[in-house]
Amino acid sequence: MTQDAQQLPGMISGGEPSATRKFDYTVIVWVVLLILLIILVANPIFQLFKESFFVSEDEAGGFTFQNYIDAFETDEYYKPMYITMMLAISVGSISLVVGAVMAWVVSRTDIPFPNLIRNGILASFVTPPFLGAIAWIFLAGQNEGWLNKWIRGLFGLSEEFYLFDIFTMKGVVFAMSLYTFPLVFIVVLAGLNNISSDVEDAANVAGGGTFHTMFSITLPLVAPSLFAGFILAALEAMILFGIPAVLAIPAGQHTMTTQLRAFMVSEDDLLGLASAYAMPMLILAIGMVWTRGIVLGRRGYATVGGKGGQRRPQKLGVWRIPIFVLCMIPLVCAIVLPALALLTTSFMKNLGGGLVWSNLTLWNYHFILTNDAVRESIYNTIILAIMAATGATIVAAISAFIAQRKLIRGHQYMGFMATAPIGIPGIVLAVGLFAAYTKQPFVLYGTLWIMFLAYLTKYLPLAYQTSNAGLSSIHPELEESCRIMGANRLQVFKDVTVPLFKTAVIASWILVFMPSLRELSASVLLWTTNTKVISVVIVDFYEETLLGPISALGVLLLLITLVAIVIGFRLVGRDFMRSAG
Amino acid sequence: MLKGIITGLLAVALLSAPAFAADEATMRKAKKEGKVTWYSSITLNIAQHICNNFNKKKMGVQCVLHRDGSGKLYRRYLQERKGGIYVADVVHTSNLGHFLNLKAKKIITPYKPAGTDNFNPKFVTKDNYWTILRAGVLMPFYNTKKISAKDAPKTYADFLDPKWKGKIVHSHPSYSGFVTNGMINIVNKFGWDYYKKMAKQKPKIVQSAAGGIPLVARGEAWLGAGTTSYSLLKLIQKGEPLKPIVPPAGLALVTSPNGVFTKAPNPNAARVFTDYLFSMETMQLLADYFLYVGNPDVKYPKALPPLNKINLMAIGGAELKKKNKPTRKMFKKLFGV
Repeated sequence: MTQDAQQLPGMISGGEPSATRKFDYTVIVWVVLLILLIILVANPIFQLFKESFFVSEDEAGGFTFQNYIDAFETDEYYKPMYITMMLAISVGSISLVVGAVMAWVVSRTDIPFPNLIRNGILASFVTPPFLGAIAWIFLAGQNEGWLNKWIRGLFGLSEEFYLFDIFTMKGVVFAMSLYTFPLVFIVVLAGLNNISSDVEDAANVAGGGTFHTMFSITLPLVAPSLFAGFILAALEAMILFGIPAVLAIPAGQHTMTTQLRAFMVSEDDLLGLASAYAMPMLILAIGMVWTRGIVLGRRGYATVGGKGGQRRPQKLGVWRIPIFVLCMIPLVCAIVLPALALLTTSFMKNLGGGLVWSNLTLWNYHFILTNDAVRESIYNTIILAIMAATGATIVAAISAFIAQRKLIRGHQYMGFMATAPIGIPGIVLAVGLFAAYTKQPFVLYGTLWIMFLAYLTKYLPLAYQTSNAGLSSIHPELEESCRIMGANRLQVFKDVTVPLFKTAVIASWILVFMPSLRELSASVLLWTTNTKVISVVIVDFYEETLLGPISALGVLLLLITLVAIVIGFRLVGRDFMRSAG
Repeated sequence: MLKGIITGLLAVALLSAPAFAADEATMRKAKKEGKVTWYSSITLNIAQHICNNFNKKKMGVQCVLHRDGSGKLYRRYLQERKGGIYVADVVHTSNLGHFLNLKAKKIITPYKPAGTDNFNPKFVTKDNYWTILRAGVLMPFYNTKKISAKDAPKTYADFLDPKWKGKIVHSHPSYSGFVTNGMINIVNKFGWDYYKKMAKQKPKIVQSAAGGIPLVARGEAWLGAGTTSYSLLKLIQKGEPLKPIVPPAGLALVTSPNGVFTKAPNPNAARVFTDYLFSMETMQLLADYFLYVGNPDVKYPKALPPLNKINLMAIGGAELKKKNKPTRKMFKKLFGV
C-alpha cells in the first residue's frame, strides 16, 4: 500500500508492476483470508469430523466407530432423519407452488396492490419462524385454538370437534411453509424479471390464453429458478430448529436438528454421537447447495436476456379479485394472525381466562423487563447483531472488491471461499464450533466471541452476494480514470468506490443485522449464562411453557425488527431486501 | 410455644441483620468478588425472586441466575469444567444422584449453611456436601373447566382410560430431575407397563416439570400426568382453573439439594449467598411458594397439605443415580423424544 502511494500515475500504463510488489500484496490478503477461513469453517468441521470418531466420555477415550453405529443403528435415531427428509420434500413443494404462483402474479399480471403483496412477503421473510410457530399454538391448538373455537361457534359444533391441530407433523409443515415460501418467491421473481415479455406476447398473439401462456412458455423458461427455489426452501426446512422444537417435540417427534440438540444438552457427554449424527445433514446440505449451483450456473436459455425486454401484465379478468384474496391468505397466516395472537396473549393475566377486560394485565411485560436473563439477552442480542453485521460486511466488501476488480492472483476463488459456509447448517456449524473452541488452548466457549464466529460464518455468504451484486453495477472505468488522474488505490477506494458502493454495503449490513437478531439454531448450542440472546431466552421460556412472557418478549423482538426495517428503508430505499435471494 | 416465640423473634432479628451469619472476613472478601452465579433448577420466577431479594440487600454482591433443568445444568457444568471454564459458584437441582457424582469427584465442597442447626434432620446432611433447599411432590392435576370433579381421574391407573387419549400432558425426564425422580417412584410401584400404556395415550410432551401447567390451564390439554406441587398450587391460588389429584398410591417426594462448587470463582460470595438461601427470609419465601423447607419455624399457606398428612413415595440418592439413565432411555424409547 505504501509503495502504491508513491507510485507515479504514468506507471499504471507503463507495463507490469514489479513482481515482488505484487507478490507481497497477494500473500498478505490470502494469508488473512485463509486464517479466517480456517478459524470459521475448516477447524470446526475438522473437529466435528474428529470428535465423531472418538469416545467422548468426560474422561476422554480412544478411537471408535461406535458413534456411527449408535447414530444409525437404532430406530429412534433413524426416524428423525426420515421425518426430516419428508419435511424437506413437503415444505419445499408447498413453498415452490405458493412462492412461484405469487411471484408470477406479482411480476406478470394486473393484480391489484402488487406492492402490498411484495412487502408482505418480505415481512414474513424477516419474522422469526419460532415466534410464528408459538403464535400458531394460540391460533390452531386442537382444543383452545382461536380458529377451532371460532369454527365451533360458527357451526355450533361440540367441544370435541377440531379442524386444526398444530401439534402434528402437518402443523409443522404448515408453519414451516409460511416462512420458507418467501425464499422461492424472491428467487423466482428475480428469474421472471429477467425474461422479457416478448415470447409471452408472441404466444398471446398466436392465440394462447393467459394461463396457457404461463404453463407452456413462462414456466419452462423459469424452470432453473423454480428448481433453485425448491432447493432453498427444502434446505431451510431441513435446517430449521425453532419450529420443530416448538411443535414437533410436544407431538413426540424429533427432527434431525432437535435430536442433535437433545444429544448436546443430554446430561451424558454425547459430543461424539452428536458429531456423527451431524454428518448426513452436512453432506445433504452441501449436496443441495451444489446441485443448485449447477442448475443456476447453466444459463443456457437464449431468450433469458437481461432486463431490457418489455414486460406487459397479463389480464386476469374476473379472476383478479379472487386471486388477490388467495395471495393474501399466506401473508395473513404468516404475519397478521401471529402478530395479533402474540399481542393479545402478552396482555392476558390468566391463560385460561380468555380475552375479557378483567383478564388484562401488564404483568408479562413487567416479568420480562425485571428478569435479569431477559435484560442481558436484549443487550447481548443487539451487540452481537451489530458485531456480526459489521464483521460480515467488512469481510464481504473486501473480498467482493478483490474478486470483482481482479486485484490479486487467484481472485476467482474469492467468491467460492466467501460463500462456502452456505452449505453448512447453522446447528452443525455450532456443534463444530463447540468441538473446536471449548478445549484448551482456544477456549472461546462462554464468551460472545464464539457466537460472533457462528453468526459471521452463517451470514457471510449473504453479505458477499449483496456486496458482489452492488459492486458489479459500478464500472471499473470510473476507478481507472481516477488512477490515471493521479490518485492512489486508497484514494480511489475512498473517494470513488466507497460512495458508489455505499448502498450495497448498508444493505448487506442490514441484511445480516436482521437475521442475527433472531438467530437460534447456532445460538441454542453455544449460549452460556453470560451470553444469552433473545431467541434462546424465548426457547428457554418455552421449555417452561411461560406462554405469557414469551408473547411479550416476542412482541418486543418484532418491534426491534420493525425498527431495523424502517431504518433500512430510510437509508437505502425499499429495494434493499431484494438482494436477499 | 415459648420456644416458638423465641425462635420467631430470633428470626425477625436475623431478618433485620443484613449479613446473616457470614463473618466479617468472608463478607469483606465476598464484596471484593462482587457477584455470585447460581445454577438453579427451581422454577424461573421463584429463582429470580430470590435473586432479586438478595440484590435488594445491596451487600455489594450481585446474584447472577442461570436457570435450567437439572440434567442440562449438570451437563453444562461438566462441559465448562472440561474446557477449564468456571462460571458457577452455587448449584441447586432436583437430582440427588448428580450430587452423589459431584461429591465423588469432589466437584462440590462441604459447606454448612448458617442457621440450619434446628432444621428437620431430613433436610441436612452429616458431611455437609449439600443441604436440601426445598422439597415438593410430583402432583397429577386437571382442568376444572374441562373435567368435572366426578369424572376426574382418582388413581394413576385412571390416566390410562382411553377417553383421555391425546388430552394428557407429560414432562420430560431428560430435562427435569423432578420428573425423573417421580417416574422412578411410579415405576417401582407399577412397573414400566404403566408408562408403556401411558405412551399409547399419546400425551403432549413438554420439557420442564412445570411446563405442563400452562397447557392445561389454557385447556389445550385437560390433564397433567405430574407437575411440581409448588407451581401448581401457586397458580391455583392465582385463579387458574386447575385442581390437584392425590392418588391413594401416594405422591413422589422430591427433595432438591443445594451445594457449593469446589472451584467456585467467587468462593466467599458463594458462602454468603448460600447462607442467604437458608436464611429465614428465603425459607419463608419458599414456603409461601408452597414448598416444604427444613426450617421448622416457617408458616405454610393453608392450601398446602402438611407433609406428614400425605402418603409419600420416596427414593434415595443412590437409587436415583442408578436408575437415572435407564429411565431417560426408556422414556425416549416409549415416547419418541
